[in-house]
Amino acid sequence: MTPEDIYRDRATRDHALRFGMWIFLGSETLLFAGLFGLYTAYRAQYPAEFSAAIQHNTEWIGSINTLVLITSSVFVAIAVHAIRGDNRRLCLGALGAAMTLGLVFLGLKAFEYAQHFAEGIAPGHHYTSLELPSLGANRFFTIYYAMTALHALHVIAGLAILAWLARRVARRRTTAAHHVGLELGGLYWHLVDIVWIFLWPLLYLTA
Amino acid sequence: MTMSERRSILLAAVALFVLTALSWGLAHAELGRSETLVALAIAAVKASVVAITFMEIGRAALGPRIVGIVTLSFIGLLCLGLSADVSLR
Repeated sequence: MTPEDIYRDRATRDHALRFGMWIFLGSETLLFAGLFGLYTAYRAQYPAEFSAAIQHNTEWIGSINTLVLITSSVFVAIAVHAIRGDNRRLCLGALGAAMTLGLVFLGLKAFEYAQHFAEGIAPGHHYTSLELPSLGANRFFTIYYAMTALHALHVIAGLAILAWLARRVARRRTTAAHHVGLELGGLYWHLVDIVWIFLWPLLYLTA
Repeated sequence: MTMSERRSILLAAVALFVLTALSWGLAHAELGRSETLVALAIAAVKASVVAITFMEIGRAALGPRIVGIVTLSFIGLLCLGLSADVSLR
């Protein structure tokens, strides 16, 4: 059975695809909301320890990563508008810039994790930090790793999606007339950005 | 890309960068207990800018907007439950 057998026309199919993507994004939002809820509960239980742990966290990396992801989101928005205007070159350039920034984000995250591991800051039972030995700090960094690692996995998936979409644009399979796939990939990337918008203050700023 | 589209993307980008700088600045301003609430409020505004301008949820069909409302409602329920749990400990 092909899409043509299910949907009476392309417009109906595109509507269904958009609706399906929004439902998926809603489920992803609730996935992260559960982790934010866990963070909130732990923070209420260990306020002083969380404050100390947040102050210890690498603010400059988190802040640069915030600017990186926001800028990549801007480029993805430009890519979608570019393909709507049949500007394939601008679309490809914008997607390339977005993917490059995504890789920068992951690189900084990896560097940050390496720094933490060197200090004995690891999740759960592997936590051996002497500077922040409390159970509350352990809880903070465990939930920090859970949230940021899950987010990083979403960034990796997003990069794969953007790369696939860029290939489709390059091969003229995504065009001004048919570009719902690019729109949907863009929606996913913007959600990844939104999640980080909330992660940044809670993990790096609000001590 | 039309001039209007360029302008809206540019304005959204500027707004996001300004709000990010505001977040960072206020985090170092010793606001006390309201610091977290202020930070989350700014994050909510930034998320709204992304959702409205980049994700174009305002122009989406009724279905996606209902999904957005339901999602936010469930998050609201989660927050209520958490507040009750934390305050009754």
